[in-house]
Amino acid sequence: MKCRKMVKRTAISSIALWSLLSLLLAGCWNNKDITDINIVVGIGLERTDDGKVILTVQVVEPAAIQSTSSGNGKGGGGMPKPVFVKSYVGETVFEAVRGILSTVDKKMFFSTAQVLILGEKLSQDGIEEVLDFFQRDHEIDYEMNILVAKGVTPEEILAIESDIDSIPAIYINGTVENTDSRATVKKTMLIDLIKDMGGNEKQPAIGQISKVGEKDVKTEGTAVFRDGKLVGWLDSYETRGYLFAIDKVKSTVINIFADNSKISMEVTRSKGKISVAFKNGEPSALNIKVEVEANVGGYEGKGRLELPEDLAILKEMLEEEIKKEIGMALEKTQKEYFSDIFGFGRYVRKYHPKYWKKSSKNWLTVFSELPVDIQVNAKIMRTGIVKSPVD
Amino acid sequence: MGRRVRKRTMIKIQITGHDNTCTDSGGQIPGSVEEVEAKLNETFSCCSDFIYRKISCGKDGLIRILIAYINGFVDKRLLNQDVVHPIIEYLSGDHDNSRIYERLKECIVINNDIKEANDMQQAVDGIVSGEALLFINGENKALVIGVKAPQGRQVKEPDTEVSIRGAREGFVENLLTNTTLIRKRIKNPNLKLEIMQLGKQTKTDVCICYIKGIANDRIVNEVRERLKKIDNDGILDVGIIEQYISDSRLSLFPTVGNSEKCDKLAGKLLEGRVAVFCDGTPNVLTIPYLFVESIQNTDDYYDHAYFATFIRLLRVMALLLSNMLPGLYVALVSFHHTVIPFKLMITLAASRQGIPFPPFVEALLMILVFELMREAGVRMPRPIGQALSIVGAIVLGEASVAAGIASNLMVIIVAITAICSFVVPPLVRATMLLRFVFLIAANFMGFLGITLVVVVVFAHLCRLRSFGIPYMAPFSPLTSSDLKDSFVVVPIWAMVTRPKILRQEEGRGRKGTKRQEVKTGL
Repeated sequence: MKCRKMVKRTAISSIALWSLLSLLLAGCWNNKDITDINIVVGIGLERTDDGKVILTVQVVEPAAIQSTSSGNGKGGGGMPKPVFVKSYVGETVFEAVRGILSTVDKKMFFSTAQVLILGEKLSQDGIEEVLDFFQRDHEIDYEMNILVAKGVTPEEILAIESDIDSIPAIYINGTVENTDSRATVKKTMLIDLIKDMGGNEKQPAIGQISKVGEKDVKTEGTAVFRDGKLVGWLDSYETRGYLFAIDKVKSTVINIFADNSKISMEVTRSKGKISVAFKNGEPSALNIKVEVEANVGGYEGKGRLELPEDLAILKEMLEEEIKKEIGMALEKTQKEYFSDIFGFGRYVRKYHPKYWKKSSKNWLTVFSELPVDIQVNAKIMRTGIVKSPVD
Repeated sequence: MGRRVRKRTMIKIQITGHDNTCTDSGGQIPGSVEEVEAKLNETFSCCSDFIYRKISCGKDGLIRILIAYINGFVDKRLLNQDVVHPIIEYLSGDHDNSRIYERLKECIVINNDIKEANDMQQAVDGIVSGEALLFINGENKALVIGVKAPQGRQVKEPDTEVSIRGAREGFVENLLTNTTLIRKRIKNPNLKLEIMQLGKQTKTDVCICYIKGIANDRIVNEVRERLKKIDNDGILDVGIIEQYISDSRLSLFPTVGNSEKCDKLAGKLLEGRVAVFCDGTPNVLTIPYLFVESIQNTDDYYDHAYFATFIRLLRVMALLLSNMLPGLYVALVSFHHTVIPFKLMITLAASRQGIPFPPFVEALLMILVFELMREAGVRMPRPIGQALSIVGAIVLGEASVAAGIASNLMVIIVAITAICSFVVPPLVRATMLLRFVFLIAANFMGFLGITLVVVVVFAHLCRLRSFGIPYMAPFSPLTSSDLKDSFVVVPIWAMVTRPKILRQEEGRGRKGTKRQEVKTGL
């Protein structure tokens, strides 16, 4: 009896000892105080002429943010800057990530990065190899937004001193996020890009960013890639057409010009669907079907909107406008860039796997030659409080 | 451990042996006043509060009587009025000399609380417990008359358990007052009050209280057995009994409840629990005590069930927060930066800027300062309280932040932790210590460490028993009918059944029997 008790007691105490040891000996391998890291908010990547990578980081200085946001920075004059921007040239991205520490004191913490800005030159040379690091590293946030800089280097964009937000990366990110209500820039997160890059079912398309004046940026348009290389751009109207087709429009404003007046239609709901028609086992046409609900948001000019017939005409004009935008985007990617950013290939692989297996290699050639059928169905829901504009 | 216990018992035996020679007051009551006087004088030597009086009365002063009592313990006016005066009056008139003792016992003494002492031990016990001894020359027995003076403070609202609604009456130090308070609420002969004396020196009255037919006999027997096994010099507080009879003596969690509120205790008795009163203590033990009881409060039953449910959930949240909040904070700022929302991260980093200590040390310091303040606040004389709270507010809140020793956020964290810890009073002590365990685990392993401690604590809770009843009931084992009064409170009119878990006939598992083995070892 006593003996058994002793054995049990030893067992219990040894378990306690081992768990205690595992607690203590595990050590502080990853215990890093929040003040011992540099909080990165923006990353820029560009390629030098001799093929090296320029990594630019925008890092927040929390104390400075706190004092600017509370509005009573102690003692005027030398206000600390809320962010600093540092660049480093390295052979690879990872080397640059570590190399940048030669000029900065604390380790970079990338999970907080809001935007990744790719340089134009780097994009033309191909983005696949530099993105490998971002796929591999466990600290990277997969929901980080990606943009391609047009006409400027990423460093120039990250170095702006915006009046809108004390952290430029937050400001840039905000302009990308508000595409929900304008649909003129393609919002691409890192995870989307990673999904698009494997295989050729869908070519990546990334939003475009450019600089306006000294202090501001503009995110409008889309960078079109083929096989990981930048091949061209879509302007804001073509971008919207593209977004209509891939069902990414939440809300936007479309202008209709009629009889010397301008009617702004607010799209409140949109549903886009792409498909590929097949005939005799071969693809015969690219179909895009979009259903739109819209309200009359503004009527600048003279005109009537009282009769159902007036609205029917308006509806037709709206459908035409959307159709035109989609057509422009499709035309450009098909005939000029040879890049299937719509993801018709994904549809084919899903519904016609046999065909896809056979001819996925030359899908882009097939894609660029297929005829196009675009159907737009619009519904006008409301005209607001007034019907016709006030005389 | 077994060896140590045996040694302790041996010492005890020696002490008792010594004591017995000192207060040897047993034996027959001798037949004459002089002998009784001598014996009492010997027993109560050096007891300045012991008083006796010899009365010679009857027509010729031949009948001799001795009255003995402890000064201050007995209501002298009552004694004279009820005992001395009627006796003198009776004996000075016509009386039958051969039946004086019987007549006094049956009629003359105007007091209803009369017992007979057949030997010296009983007589002495009566005297020390505040009763008066009446001895008539020539008898081998004596009368013990209850003329105890009312003592102790008035019944008032307990400071420790404040409630918004419900009775304001709280128990006092006097056992009889307490039992009356309960009897007043439960007017039923099935309310049983079994009295026994514990403590070899103090001879404290301890009373087991339960409602026959509602309380589980098995539990009542178990309580009785465990109380009988208490072998101790003095029971100064019911807390001493609690430590002797609780199931898991090494656990941080209480397995015996206590209360000062009459209505709360009545409620517990009606649920089928057993109460243990102890003379000299305003706290009453309730047995068995389960984990859910720590989040229950009498107010819950007197108000609408919605509010009660909301407050229950609030208490659960507070309980979790008061345990884990400092640990969670440390884990967040030193391990898991990835899960912090970006804007919060900026705030966190800004507030920690320039703090010389790592978060763990900072948290430890602040919690220790708070615990010191709390302890000082409890022990300190009331009038100084304000001075302490000013110092506390300035030192904790302002100066430490201004001096850059602690961050703003840490002050908030400690403040929230402190507030939360007082929301669930029965577990204040357990959380006080567990908080450090969580903190240390968080510092070494982050969320993983916290999870590990949570697992260990829950495993321990599920293993605990209170008088054979699983501590985590009704959650584990899941007793669906008892869930009506757990996190969710159903309206009182829908609570139609008594807690089922208290009624189960067989003790679940071996814990109960094992427990008895340990007890016999003592």
